[in-house]
Amino acid sequence: MPLLSFLNPSFLWALPVTAIPVLLHLLSRRKLPEVPFPTTNFLRILEPREIRRIRLREILLLILRTLALLLLVLAFARPAVTPANAVTNAAAAVGLLLDESESMAAIEEHGRPRITEAKGRARSLIEASRAGDAIAIAYASRGDEPVAERGDDRVRLRRALERVEATPQPARMAAALGSLRRTLERSPLSTRELYVVSDFQRGNWSGEARLEVTRAAAAGTRVYLVPVTAANLPNHAFEAIDPDVRPGPEGRGMELRARLVNHADAPSDRIAIRLREGDALVGGGDVSLRAGERRWAAMPIEPKAIRTAASDTASAATRITAEMDVDALPTDDEWYAVLGTPRRLRVLRIVEARGSAPPRFAALALDPSSNGASGFSVEDESPAALLTLNKARADVVLLEDVAALSGDAEARLRAFLRDGGGLVVALGPHSDPDYYSKRLFPGMIDLALQQPERAPEGGALELRARVAGHAILEGLTVGVGTPLSQARLTGLVRGAVTSPRAEVIVQTSGGLPVVVAAPRVAIFLSSLSDDWGELPFSGAFVPLVRGLVGHAARAASGAPAEAVVGMPPRARLTGAPSGVIRVRGPGDYSSTAIVEAEGTGYRAVALDAAPSPGFYEFDAERRALATVAVNLDPIESDLTVLPVDSIRSAAAPAALSRIAILSSASALERHLRATRRGEELWLPLLLAAALLLAGELLLASARKLRA
Amino acid sequence: MSNDRARLLDPHFVSKLARLDLRARLVVEGFLTGLHRSPYHGFSVEFAEHRQYMPGDPLRHLDWKVLAKSDRKYLKQYQEETNLRAHLLVDTSASMGYGSRGVTKLDYARQLAASLAYLILGQHDAVGLFAFAQGRGEQIPARSTMGHMRPLLGLLERMKASGGTDFTASLHALAERITRRGLVMILSDLLDEPEKVAQAIHHFRHRRHEVLVFHILDPQEVAFDFNREAVYVDVEGGARVTTRPRELRDDYRARLTEWRDRLRAICIEKRADYVALTTDVPYDRALLEYLGKRSRLL
Repeated sequence: MPLLSFLNPSFLWALPVTAIPVLLHLLSRRKLPEVPFPTTNFLRILEPREIRRIRLREILLLILRTLALLLLVLAFARPAVTPANAVTNAAAAVGLLLDESESMAAIEEHGRPRITEAKGRARSLIEASRAGDAIAIAYASRGDEPVAERGDDRVRLRRALERVEATPQPARMAAALGSLRRTLERSPLSTRELYVVSDFQRGNWSGEARLEVTRAAAAGTRVYLVPVTAANLPNHAFEAIDPDVRPGPEGRGMELRARLVNHADAPSDRIAIRLREGDALVGGGDVSLRAGERRWAAMPIEPKAIRTAASDTASAATRITAEMDVDALPTDDEWYAVLGTPRRLRVLRIVEARGSAPPRFAALALDPSSNGASGFSVEDESPAALLTLNKARADVVLLEDVAALSGDAEARLRAFLRDGGGLVVALGPHSDPDYYSKRLFPGMIDLALQQPERAPEGGALELRARVAGHAILEGLTVGVGTPLSQARLTGLVRGAVTSPRAEVIVQTSGGLPVVVAAPRVAIFLSSLSDDWGELPFSGAFVPLVRGLVGHAARAASGAPAEAVVGMPPRARLTGAPSGVIRVRGPGDYSSTAIVEAEGTGYRAVALDAAPSPGFYEFDAERRALATVAVNLDPIESDLTVLPVDSIRSAAAPAALSRIAILSSASALERHLRATRRGEELWLPLLLAAALLLAGELLLASARKLRA
Repeated sequence: MSNDRARLLDPHFVSKLARLDLRARLVVEGFLTGLHRSPYHGFSVEFAEHRQYMPGDPLRHLDWKVLAKSDRKYLKQYQEETNLRAHLLVDTSASMGYGSRGVTKLDYARQLAASLAYLILGQHDAVGLFAFAQGRGEQIPARSTMGHMRPLLGLLERMKASGGTDFTASLHALAERITRRGLVMILSDLLDEPEKVAQAIHHFRHRRHEVLVFHILDPQEVAFDFNREAVYVDVEGGARVTTRPRELRDDYRARLTEWRDRLRAICIEKRADYVALTTDVPYDRALLEYLGKRSRLL
């Protein structure tokens, strides 16, 4: 049976108004007043028939007036009829998850940001709530916080919604969904509904987030996925800037490398990049990106803009702001970086003498002119040199086709790594896979080695990038799955990573790992010599070797991991600070920091998360300690929309029926009409009241005419 | 000035003044202020005095003899002298006590009578006053001195609305009592049968009187603008009529108009002048009617 409900029930208090015509009618009939009047002889006495007719008409008028007032009051109370088959007829616990992460600031083709559309949908939901509904609102970027708004006061909730803007924070969809789910499950109301209003950005919907949706549906909550857009907006963005400035091509000038990504199905040509220090333009260039491409791009930077080592104090750190052409998501078209001191990477290359002098392909790739102009200086040594290894001597150790290390050398190497040094291991026909697999690698990288494998006679192994945009590949213009080089590689040591901490960067077309990376460590499972093919003679060799060393060196330099908005800023300190460390950032951000030991140094971590991108300064007792750059989480840059149906279809069959997709504003409106608001009746009621009033006027004037 | 004059002729404003003599003077002076170029300004046959000619004065009153003798322009002014005797007959029946807007019909009639008397005495005519109601009546014979104003005002102030109206009895008695021919002015709501009113007027006409009827009604009596259903009680007969004004308003108005038209027709037939007034009509309307009548008589 259809149920009648009122969306503005407070207007029902005006119902007694409808009694006014009846009261006036009754009062007027109680006792007639006496009026002295001289010319009563001109008054005609009404006949009983006339009196009956007049009374009948008066009653009719009374009914018309009363009904018109009643209909007016009811129209203002906005009655709605909920169909008998409505999903929800009783008061419900309603959870609303509103995505206000950075991607919601993206400007849609109609010129409005996604958050505006999302707020409109959320407002409709709140306005459609009924008396008794318990509403809880959670925000996607505050997943680790309790549910933000709760209650049944629609006005307050609507005001809270109006204040919401897209934040620079990334979405923590799984955490927010979990928090809201638990809130709903604690509700005493048996009917529970969860609305997720989001752009359903692919990067935000991890397996855990999808699992939360399924969990909520499995627990009896009806889940409604409300996507605010279906458009994959093209967007290009910064993803990182290498803080280490390198010498330019052939040792001339300096260049800065930025990792860029093009989240679009079409290429982006000549994206203008500008590097600024403060207001001064210090470098930049044009970059073209293929569709979906993510790669490092080097661009010249004015050498004078870079602080020298002598002046490289924390306060004098070079702060670079990189900008690119504004697109659909303007917030990710800017990136902040604090540049390190330009330096030459010192590589200690360990090779074993085997009669003749070993080939120096790798050394030449790093420092072709032997003067360090390329940014690398290479020192060739035997494994015995490892016994005196320390950070003062080298930044990176390159073990090239070394059979095995002595126990002392191995211990010294481990100590070197603990001190922040980097390690590149290139295997070869003489290296002992057993030694590396069972002795050296444990504790360094989770990689198990087997025996070397050779390509079939006359055949060759083909190298392909397995991941895009890794620093090891930064000098190579390759996409995922594309061949790294045309060079023939005839052998490699078969290996397998044993944990996610080790990442395969390059593999053969048959899936065998060739380059495996871990923090501070890079392993090349083939030979950097010409023992196993022609790789040293290919164009990919130089950038690959430099990429391997660069990766180990970057990790070894202790450069802080990319700090993102929403996480506490952290800075590596060279010495133990004294006094309270304060952190100041953009706007009025101010926090204190705690100090943790990290390797041979210290790390200061702010107590409060960074609310916005920019430069954050650490100081103690008015002495500058460090400056770090905080940027937006690159995951928000990918505006590709997830097919929402994939979330639903991943649910178990039992939960499937409780997950629905409301893909447009009209679909949401239909849903709210069918389940909560019902068919609104105010317009027909208003029309009926107007008709009744018109009838009353007509009857009253007709009465006068006849009289 | 025109505003002040309008106020002096407004029945509601004048009724707020306490003294009737003052009220009468104000009304007449206010009325005359608007008539400075009127042909009714008193010029008669008996010379009174000379006045120096002022530009704009009519040349017909210029004393040509004085001009010929002394080359000075003087106007001759005359003392008006007539033998007009006016009789003011004021109805004091109970129905005259009705007033829906603060001024009763009797108030209006008294004020009008006082103003007329003041005007008449100011023109050196004689005026008398008669109060008539069923079975009783008071009278003051006509005199033409200004000192006669005092007893007239005294009677006017004593008048009370009470009792019924019987034109046949009261007016016929008055017609018999007023022997010398003159102008009879009846100030009444004429709430009686038109035929009886006609007979009374006929009686006066038969006695060679000129008759001027001021038919005074309350605006509410004309408009019948009540809204509520009520019991309407006749103030003279006590008859009670329960009715719905909105239902019968048009019918009432039609009947009333028909009655007034009938009275007007009777007056025309009897060669009497009929002036329909309501208590919100300024007094100058009635005074003008009087002066028009007077000019026709002289």
